Amino acid sequence: MEKRGLKFYLRIYFKILAQDLKSKMSYRADFIISTIGMIFTNIAGFVSFWILFRSFPSINGWGYYEMLFLYGFSLVAITPVQCLFDNNWSLRMAVYSGDFIKYCFRPINIFFYYQSEVFDIKGLGQLAFGIGTLIYSWVKIGLGFTPLILLKMTVFLLTASLVMIAMQNAAAATCFWIMNSFYVLDLVTRFKDYAKYPVTIFSPVFKFIFTFLMPIAFIAYYPSLVILRPDEVPLLSWLSPFIGAFFFWVSYKIWMHGALKYNGTGS
Amino acid sequence: MKLKKYLTLTKAGIMESLQFRLGTFVMAVGNLLYLIVVYYLWKAIYASSGSETVNGMTFSDTLIYLVLATALFNFMEMYTVWEMGRGIQSGKIVLELLKPMEYRNYLFWTYSGQFVTNFFFTFLPTFIVVAVVTHGAIHLGLNLLFFVISVIIAISLNYSINFIVGTICVYTESIWGINIMKQVIVLLLSGATIPLAFFPETLRRITYYLPFQSIYNAPLSILLNASPEPKEIITTIGTQLIWCIAMLIISKLFWKVSLRQITVNGG
Repeated sequence: MEKRGLKFYLRIYFKILAQDLKSKMSYRADFIISTIGMIFTNIAGFVSFWILFRSFPSINGWGYYEMLFLYGFSLVAITPVQCLFDNNWSLRMAVYSGDFIKYCFRPINIFFYYQSEVFDIKGLGQLAFGIGTLIYSWVKIGLGFTPLILLKMTVFLLTASLVMIAMQNAAAATCFWIMNSFYVLDLVTRFKDYAKYPVTIFSPVFKFIFTFLMPIAFIAYYPSLVILRPDEVPLLSWLSPFIGAFFFWVSYKIWMHGALKYNGTGS
Repeated sequence: MKLKKYLTLTKAGIMESLQFRLGTFVMAVGNLLYLIVVYYLWKAIYASSGSETVNGMTFSDTLIYLVLATALFNFMEMYTVWEMGRGIQSGKIVLELLKPMEYRNYLFWTYSGQFVTNFFFTFLPTFIVVAVVTHGAIHLGLNLLFFVISVIIAISLNYSINFIVGTICVYTESIWGINIMKQVIVLLLSGATIPLAFFPETLRRITYYLPFQSIYNAPLSILLNASPEPKEIITTIGTQLIWCIAMLIISKLFWKVSLRQITVNGG
């Protein structure tokens, strides 16, 4: 048997991916309209951000461009979940109809195989939008540019996205236990819209909740402090890569636990 | 009895929505979280602005406006576009077209049950909580009557817009993209995400020429205005009525034309 290193998984991933893209291309009108819809969402998000903050010099000590930076950061950080883990949305249907049993018979990690099946290209527009916003605010704040800061940025963006992925995985996995888990997934997806605000605006109780129970503060606030306020980085910011990895691991365990106890529907 | 057959559909809708209690619960939690975020965000904005009123609205005005806009949204949102789109794609729509009732009416009345449950389980509790928490910032008088009239027109207008967008699905085979575009435009331009008073002058003037502000902004501004001039109320409700009738006619005509285009594969 072939040794299953990273190379093996990458090769499989791109093979499955190619099939998905082929099937998407056969619904070209749908693809184009969905992409336009995604661009609309981003523009509207930006316009509401602009309307809200244009008349105020700063919110709670955060300047306009710093807020914009957080906004761009959150957009980039949620791109991986949008692009790579979109199949979580169909999990509920697959489990309910019994189709999910087919994944249980593949000689490969179920979680990996299931998530590989769909790649959502629409997310790339969001990525471009987010990077544009980030660069714009970066230049306006005058953060400077060194290889070190770029490395920091990449690491913290990746770990921030792990948090969002973890929340979605856990939410999607609820469908193994409860019916109608759409609402749970929808709820978690709405969280990402709140990630763009600095967690300092909340009262201590909600600050705690949004940091530890529903970790949305790790999607943009804590990781971007490392870049934005390098002189006063709290410990939680430095810990965020580990927290991101930890949340991801927990969500993976929950997901797999549900998948492995799945019995099918008998059809 | 014409009304009786409609009310039967309403009753069935009430029974159906009472089945999904968990979904309702999760949705309530989600809304609560949204309201918490909105509360702290605007509190921070008002604290940073340094004045009691921003753009003619006090903090409690803004809060009432946004909370009730959310409550109205949950109460009025009908997912018509999804229903129609899926019906067209799956072919199920054929069975509904054969019913001895106009499709447009049938779809509306099957949803009407949800209006009833949503009204009692989400809108009314939210309204009471807001009225109590803000210590009578909501004026309880004749404006309530006008508010109810305005909401009824808004429901009809919202349905017509949804129906028009749903009809587009006959041509496009895309549901998600079409629906997200509609949702984004309606939520932003109706004032549901940010009160229209905060919009820049030109943008605000544009929104007043569009039908969307009649859905959320019109009823809410009637409710919040404690001592309105009769002229104001007549203009607001008059504008709503004109849009309502115009959209009703357009949606009926558009559906009539599009009905010839429907191709159902199997079904």
